[in-house]
Amino acid sequence: MTRYVMSIDLRRCVGCQTCTAACKGANATPPGIQWRRVLDIESGEFPDVRRSFLPIACMHCANPPCESVCPTRATTKRADGLVAIDYDLCIGCANCVMACPYDARSIVHEPKYAYGDTPMASEAKRFDPDRIGVSMKCTFCKDRIDLAARTGQIPGVDHEVTPACVNSCISGAMQFGDIEDPDSSVSRLLGETQHYRMHEELGTEPGVYYIWDQS
Amino acid sequence: MSMEAAQSKSVKHVPTYCYNCVSGPDFMCVKVVDGVATEIEPNFAAAEVHPAKGKVCVKAYGLVQKTYNPNRILTPMKRTNPKKGRNEDPGFVPISWDEALDLVAQKLKAVRAKGLVDEAGLPRVAVSLGHGGTPSNYMGTFPAFLAAWGPVDFSFGSGQGVKCVHSEHLYGEFWHRGFTVAADTPNCRYNIAVGANVDVTGGPCAVIRHADARVRGYKRVQVEPSLTATGACSAEWVPIRPKTDPAFLFALIHVLIHENGLAKLDLPFLRDRTASPYLVAPDGLYLRDAQSGKPLVWDEVTATAVPHDTVGARPAVAGSYRVAHAVVVDADKERREYFDVEGKTAYEMLARHIDKYTPEWAETVCDVKATTIRRIANEYLEAASIGETIVIDGQTLPLRPVAVTLGKSVNNGWGAYECCWARTVLAALVGALENPGGLVGTTVRLNKSRDNRHLSVKSGEDGFMVQYFNPTSKEEWQSSPSTRNLHQTLVPIVGHNGAWSQALGPTQLAWMFQGERPDDWSMPMPTLPDVWIVYRSNPSISFWDTRHLAEVAARFPFMACVAYTVDETNYMADVLLPEATDLESTQMIRMGGTKYMEQFWDYKGVVLRQKAVEPQGEARDFTWITTELAKRTGLLDPYFGAINKGVSGVSPLKGEGYDFSLDPASEADPEQIWDAVCRAASVTLSEGREEHDLAWFREHGFFAVPMSRLEWYLTPTMEKLGLRYELPYQERLLRAGRELGRRLHEKKMNWWDEQLSEYTALPEWHDVPGRWIRNLEKAGAKLEDFPFWLLTTKSMQYHAGGNAAIEVMHEVAQNLRGHAGVIMNAKTAAGLGIAEGDRVEVRSHIGATYGKASLMQGIRPDTLVIIGQFDHWATPFAKGMNAPSLNTIAPMSLDLTDATGSGADIVRVGVRRMEVPA
Amino acid sequence: MKKSVLRASDLAFPKQQRNWDWRAASNFIAGGAGGGLLLCVALAGLDAFPARVAILLGLILIGGGLTCVWFEIGRPWRALNVYRHFATSWMTREAVVALTVFAAGGLALLTVQPLLVVLAGIFGLTFLYSQARILAANKGIPAWRHPRSVSLMVATGLTEGAGFLACVASLASSASGFWFMAGLIVLILTRAFLWKAYLGALVADGAPEAALTVLRGTDARFVVFGHVLPAVALAALMAGIPGQAGLLLAAGIMMVASGWFLKFTLVRRAAFTQGLAMPHMPVRGRGTAGPAVKPGWKAMSGVSSG
Repeated sequence: MTRYVMSIDLRRCVGCQTCTAACKGANATPPGIQWRRVLDIESGEFPDVRRSFLPIACMHCANPPCESVCPTRATTKRADGLVAIDYDLCIGCANCVMACPYDARSIVHEPKYAYGDTPMASEAKRFDPDRIGVSMKCTFCKDRIDLAARTGQIPGVDHEVTPACVNSCISGAMQFGDIEDPDSSVSRLLGETQHYRMHEELGTEPGVYYIWDQS
Repeated sequence: MSMEAAQSKSVKHVPTYCYNCVSGPDFMCVKVVDGVATEIEPNFAAAEVHPAKGKVCVKAYGLVQKTYNPNRILTPMKRTNPKKGRNEDPGFVPISWDEALDLVAQKLKAVRAKGLVDEAGLPRVAVSLGHGGTPSNYMGTFPAFLAAWGPVDFSFGSGQGVKCVHSEHLYGEFWHRGFTVAADTPNCRYNIAVGANVDVTGGPCAVIRHADARVRGYKRVQVEPSLTATGACSAEWVPIRPKTDPAFLFALIHVLIHENGLAKLDLPFLRDRTASPYLVAPDGLYLRDAQSGKPLVWDEVTATAVPHDTVGARPAVAGSYRVAHAVVVDADKERREYFDVEGKTAYEMLARHIDKYTPEWAETVCDVKATTIRRIANEYLEAASIGETIVIDGQTLPLRPVAVTLGKSVNNGWGAYECCWARTVLAALVGALENPGGLVGTTVRLNKSRDNRHLSVKSGEDGFMVQYFNPTSKEEWQSSPSTRNLHQTLVPIVGHNGAWSQALGPTQLAWMFQGERPDDWSMPMPTLPDVWIVYRSNPSISFWDTRHLAEVAARFPFMACVAYTVDETNYMADVLLPEATDLESTQMIRMGGTKYMEQFWDYKGVVLRQKAVEPQGEARDFTWITTELAKRTGLLDPYFGAINKGVSGVSPLKGEGYDFSLDPASEADPEQIWDAVCRAASVTLSEGREEHDLAWFREHGFFAVPMSRLEWYLTPTMEKLGLRYELPYQERLLRAGRELGRRLHEKKMNWWDEQLSEYTALPEWHDVPGRWIRNLEKAGAKLEDFPFWLLTTKSMQYHAGGNAAIEVMHEVAQNLRGHAGVIMNAKTAAGLGIAEGDRVEVRSHIGATYGKASLMQGIRPDTLVIIGQFDHWATPFAKGMNAPSLNTIAPMSLDLTDATGSGADIVRVGVRRMEVPA
Repeated sequence: MKKSVLRASDLAFPKQQRNWDWRAASNFIAGGAGGGLLLCVALAGLDAFPARVAILLGLILIGGGLTCVWFEIGRPWRALNVYRHFATSWMTREAVVALTVFAAGGLALLTVQPLLVVLAGIFGLTFLYSQARILAANKGIPAWRHPRSVSLMVATGLTEGAGFLACVASLASSASGFWFMAGLIVLILTRAFLWKAYLGALVADGAPEAALTVLRGTDARFVVFGHVLPAVALAALMAGIPGQAGLLLAAGIMMVASGWFLKFTLVRRAAFTQGLAMPHMPVRGRGTAGPAVKPGWKAMSGVSSG
């Protein structure tokens, strides 16, 4: 079995939003819609203050609450661990948006462009009417993972088949790969670090691991 | 995208570079679908040669929008409203390229007819370029045109000198050929970052290196009034009172010298590589050998004073010694003779000087606990691991993995000299200066060769490397300025190395003196240039007192702007020339080796920026624009001559064994020019083994050859040449200041006297923040009305990118706290009745700026911070952001200008909640 | 498109959900009451006319709610896809049950056949239960996902249905005897108990502070107007004071209105998302890890509220 997961090393992340922008570019999301973003979190009181950066997106849960509530089977958990949405089935009921405890999903009800009502050439080229009125979220760059299945390339190793955010990250915070493969870079890194998954108490079994210290 | 895939006919990944900020170049690919740029991607083909593994930062991901932004200027335009001003609609109307170029060429030809220099001795043509030399990576062959032209005034800055790390540029290059100075992060273990916001401004190379270092377990202590992203990623945050950094650094030196002592410091380094043993006379000048004039040291072997370079001598580093006979050389080469005089070593002078700057004293100044200062100093010393070595390419070098790095506003304006000096001394004391792990310079700009700082190290006076100060002698001093910022007249250390020296002069003086001048001004009255050309620069936003600056800009008689959109500066232009932007045009530049910030690589080479997509509208490649201007002004011969010399490229087009030089008569088009540059670059880099044309580079993107890491460190070169760093004592600066003072006073000018006080051999604390308070009070304002310090800080999304018009940058930047707002301490805000998101007015004694309050704990209660520089009123999209800017309310003032001509981004302000929510 | 107006400092905090607006809330408000009403009709043994009125009202409420939802979903013309996931989706189940409700309810309306009325009542209850489970399945909204929300939603649906029935009965001057009144009081007391149990458990188990603030803010009004006053009115009726029709109508209206107020509050105002948290702040170099942070939640030991 394969289960693709992502690890995010919070020690490395500088909150630069390069992954946010790269994701927007790679997935042509409209203004205001971010399938991933990096949060800027502060705690403590002056002068004893901590500030951390927390990249968030779909956690591609092993037990995805969005999948079970979906009335259309548009949201499915794939055999390789990806949680996917079939835009042709989705009715945009937003039940999955409510079910997700990670604020990962959104629905865009009408086209929107960066500069007013008219799309730029780059926006027009990539506008996908299928994505209007349906639930959207990070796909782990599904097309790339599917390409890997065809070419035999390895996600997380071969850049062509690795999610855009991971490729773009300038601090090297993100790794992607098969956690079932003990030799994958993700498995090895998780083996030598302390990490957590977001809201594990909810039983969602997220596929994103946050590294916060060495073992 | 299924739709995209179904409709697509062709998909290309075009390799190119991003150099939107000084921390470039970085690699990227442009994904082009059916001729439309759709995405920016890393260029993993460069992963091996590039420290950042072929990646670009967030800014580059805005370049697709930059290309297709509907607000772009896409045809040449001319102004139809002769009146200029913020409230005057310029009435730009489209014109043909022929008409536009003829308009500019006509003005230029008129200048040539009148003479390149006007009656005041100032160039009739002025050029303003944007941030940190980055425009040169986009302006193609324009440098060759400027070289062909003759004298040009680069005085009208857009922030250079006051928004950069100005003092580091000048003093860093002076002391260790470090125009920019960095920690040797790959080897560093302890970094005291005083305001150095490297995780924001250092580019991908710095970000990955510091991330690696964190995981490896280095310690970075961030000393700054607000908790920036870099501070957030540091092991410790020390919230220091603004502009008191010199006191903090002096106290660190105090702990090293007085609480640890010479025995724990790097004695051999101090003895052999610095001027620590040089004997100083009671009058503060070096004691010199009467015959040779060389500075004397006390030889412990013979117990006599001998010239510093005496073979076999073992100079004493500390102590006082009686010298039988010596001379000193004062200003204007005045010699005085001494007999049986006491000479203290320079180190001894330092030790006595620093004695009073205890951690307890610093606590009262900096609001940092003495115990913290002491602990940090001791951690620094321990981490320096004096005695440890490292082998690099077979050579054993000291490993001194500690560095003090400085940020903007620490590093410019009053107090910056002291900070630069102190941090360089801190490096020298532990032998970390230009040694592995320590503090390294990464490029030179005021010296040649710009691409190899080691070549700029040549033997000069007194055992130091050669310096090219602007002369201050009676005979050679430039009493009538040759530029409007008076850089050669007022700032010896900035030198006269072309545009760089000019641009690092006191650029605010060029703006200020167009209005009022000091009463005792006795030089020719500064004129306005006949022609002002502006590229990638928006001083009406990026300098200070921007409302007033825009009024000055409106008075320039003729202004031609190479324009992207309408902006606050080109609003006053007579002609707008739309250039093909980042993804639409071609240029080759150098990469790697050692460059700005943390761009020191294991490779060096060249990288091509290429036309990934056709230019929008009538936008044209800057090289085409330049060639046309050269043609229309009759300068084709010298223009191509300059190109052939390598002025706009990376190597001369003709050299040993190759000749790709261009015939001016051929009027080579941009493709032909860059083809020749590609060939020359690959031949020279490969030492004749490989020749690659433009087509090859279009496919491969770059060409690199390995480089030894030894080139990162200057100390081995200094050792090879037997040279010493000019530290810790600053006799040369002392003398230069004295001479400069004499010259100015001879001209009956005293308006620069305060600046002359900075010329000291050992910097003193002089209540740096108090200068801003005194300036306020001098202007008739009351301190109690302006109880806060307002600072600014950069963001990676916008830093130097000129990209305020890009929607996606605004969107992603909003994920960060305080962006486009006024950051203030939550408790302070509560006391003022200000809640998160409230619209607030931030007022200085010259004006007000407005934004939403962003409350944080990670900021001192007495400090406000505004990120970036916005407050646009003409730039499409940006003008709707309603973001505040320090620049609007920071005054330009002679009082706030230091001896190098720089100022700092800091101003006293009051803040209040606006009654009507916006 | 709903444009985000969130500030960076808010992004990690629980946020009021913005995807289900009044249209979706209407489905829970009206549909739940309709389902409850159908069951109450089945249990009340009304005369033919008032039974028909009540059944018709129940079907209108359910149909109206579903229509509102239809106007809210992003792709209304493929709404029939809603039937594709009976295995786990309570929304699919609700849609399936809605068919049975309309089939049985329609026939009951025509025939007033007791068996069909009872069937319609059972399906109405099932519809109501499905709605309660739709909310509870949403792990992203702590105020919904709490297990006690199911019984509360069912209880309020029934109470609202009974309220409607009381209104119909009063307007139709239909018999409303002692046991009818007693039944209403029992329902009211049950809902009050379940509300208190829900709120107490939510506070104890943890929820976003913003959600708790909203719910606590509604507590007194909900209890007084939804429970105390109608119960007093009904008790007075049972004691035989005059003005039966008016009092019964007033009690019914209060039972309905308070339930709708509760559901609007739950579905819209108290529907704060989980938010994001950092159980560990990262260690930067030789620094130390900061304390855990869970913005917008009550500080627990070792956890900062951010």
